[in-house]
Amino acid sequence: MVKVFIYPSNSLILSDLVDRFGHEPLAVMHEIGKKIKTAGLDSPPINITPEDPKKGLKYAAVEVPSGVRGRMSLLGPLLEEAQAAIIVTGPDISFGCMGCARTNELITFLVRAKKIPKLDLEYPRTEEAAKDFVHQIHEFLAGLDNIKISTSDKTGGGE
Amino acid sequence: MGEEEIINKMVVLNSTYTLPSDIVIKIYESKADVTVKETCFGLIIRGTISEVNMAVKEIRNMDPMRIFVKERGVPPGDSYRCRAGRGGGVKPGFHMHEIENKLLPYITGALEEIEKGIPHEMPVKSHGITIERLKEIINEEAAQAK
Amino acid sequence: MVQEELVKIAHLSCGSEYSGIQKEIETAAEIVNARIFYPEISIEEVQQVQDDFGLHVASSDLGLVMARAKVLVEGNTNADAVLITTCFRCAEGAVVRNELRRYIYENSKLPVISYSFTERTTSGTLLTRLEALTTTARRRSLLAREHQEGLTAGIDSGSTTTKSVIMKDDKVIGRGWVPTTNVIQSANEAYNQALETAGVTRDEIQALGVTGYGRYLIKEEFNADLVQEEITVNSKGAVYLANSQHGSATVIDIGGMDNKAISIQDGIPGMFTMGGICAGASGRFLEMTSKRLGVDITELGALAVKGMQQNVEMNSYCIVFGIQSLVNSLSKGSVPEDVAAASCHSVVEQVFEQQLQEVEVKEPLIMVGGSSLIEGVPKAMEDMLNIKVVVPPDSQYIGAVGSALLASGFINK
Repeated sequence: MVKVFIYPSNSLILSDLVDRFGHEPLAVMHEIGKKIKTAGLDSPPINITPEDPKKGLKYAAVEVPSGVRGRMSLLGPLLEEAQAAIIVTGPDISFGCMGCARTNELITFLVRAKKIPKLDLEYPRTEEAAKDFVHQIHEFLAGLDNIKISTSDKTGGGE
Repeated sequence: MGEEEIINKMVVLNSTYTLPSDIVIKIYESKADVTVKETCFGLIIRGTISEVNMAVKEIRNMDPMRIFVKERGVPPGDSYRCRAGRGGGVKPGFHMHEIENKLLPYITGALEEIEKGIPHEMPVKSHGITIERLKEIINEEAAQAK
Repeated sequence: MVQEELVKIAHLSCGSEYSGIQKEIETAAEIVNARIFYPEISIEEVQQVQDDFGLHVASSDLGLVMARAKVLVEGNTNADAVLITTCFRCAEGAVVRNELRRYIYENSKLPVISYSFTERTTSGTLLTRLEALTTTARRRSLLAREHQEGLTAGIDSGSTTTKSVIMKDDKVIGRGWVPTTNVIQSANEAYNQALETAGVTRDEIQALGVTGYGRYLIKEEFNADLVQEEITVNSKGAVYLANSQHGSATVIDIGGMDNKAISIQDGIPGMFTMGGICAGASGRFLEMTSKRLGVDITELGALAVKGMQQNVEMNSYCIVFGIQSLVNSLSKGSVPEDVAAASCHSVVEQVFEQQLQEVEVKEPLIMVGGSSLIEGVPKAMEDMLNIKVVVPPDSQYIGAVGSALLASGFINK
């Protein structure tokens, strides 16, 4: 079983397909769940505190807007765990954690820099495109069973 | 042994055969120690990781190609994410949900093809045209314009 | 304090949750008895709105924000006011934030305020903004006032000085100005001075307005009719004195300890920044310079307009290191005129660096507050921005004038 980073990270379809085809989706919902359950924090709605954008400094300098760094503090750790990735592009499909284009650009770049197996897809808008989409994901995930997964991690930090 | 982590999973239905209430009955019949809340998309299950995953496995078997599952960070009925608490507007993730929901029938179609082993012809990526071909087109157009 | 009516603030934001400051926004709202909410929209509206506006964004959350702005303008919500926030240093966010503020302002009656935040933004920072916003929502008719009527007074209890004016039928007839020591005592002195110069007694005053950081204390003491934060009052006072009550304007108020840059539309503040983290951007820097030059603060301005700031090398804006640079240049033979000019330039440049980055500078640019009287300061601002700076009469009494003007809405006829 391979840990697959998915983007948009809150996608039902991606999360379901990765799970369905026998791998582990690395989804942001789990990270948010952990945050919400953190005892002693009272920073609704999702318990992100001003400390989190500071943690995001690991991925982006202080001149990068706080909303990007806050999102990176949620998504960065997932990226570090990732052994493969499925990245879906399409500007108007996702909101909230994935609602910031600058974060999306940084994530896409960091996934690429990590040199793990990666599938890039466009968000499907027609029946035919949706079928291609599922088949490509299926093929990609099936291929992951045979590859040797690198455990080294080069995401974030340092110049 | 430490306490097992509590998670929420969202079960989304794209089926005319299975209703959320059928799933609820199924969960009540099973031994899974989880709480369930019906929603407009299906339901949310909350419990320990192992119990939730056990319930999800049973649910998926009810209608494998038309039931979709993902984890959800926010527990059911959370006041900050609930419409009532937000004074009207939905949480941002809801819109993503709406968009993905429209696609589910097609996803089901593709999953059925995979299940049945129907071969799929992958799309061929367009690589644009060569400079030589572009020159030819220009010459053709120019000749026509004369 | 009487509980004022609840104000429902529609929040248009992209990133405040992820910056960890949503709680701060809600806390500030609670203090001014307001409630933050999110207008209901459909996904179709989100997808349509970018074509409608002709503004296409890469960040989908900004599309969400635009769709919410549209339903607000269409009147399909029960919002009383609008708060637009985006991350500081995000260009895409800034474009959408400014354009939506204008769009909502021009197409609805909803008061709107915008702010660019960082993770360091606290409820304290947001409080004055939300106070100004809820005031505009609750007192729209009061703020529409363009003329001062009857005999009214205003007291501005500032951190460095306390100012007071007496006004009668659109004219300032009495003025008082004292350094702030004990808040109530200083307010009494300033008020008495103003009454004396106007030749009237307290009993004759028909309504009193108070502002400034000591406003709540003096409200009790003087039984004031109006107690109002400085942003609203100074905006109103500035456009009133500068005769620019309609259309857009920018107000820069360099005070003794802090400063404000306010972007105004029809006399109502839309976006503003407040300083207070650097003494190098305050009147205190100019005070220190005049001390070092051995001249009175009132003479510094005239000196500065005769000097050339380029002749003095300044390595820092800091009130410690910058002043040291000025002293060093004196010892190297610089003339006092050049040093005075350099100090005015330094303060203005620091205001520019810290504050004017965050507000839209629209003409007329009105300078108010004590520092506006130091001629070198508006001149340095003109040189830097390359636009004409207006310093209205009585600019140093801006808060008191704004209070007296608005207080006339409380005269029982």
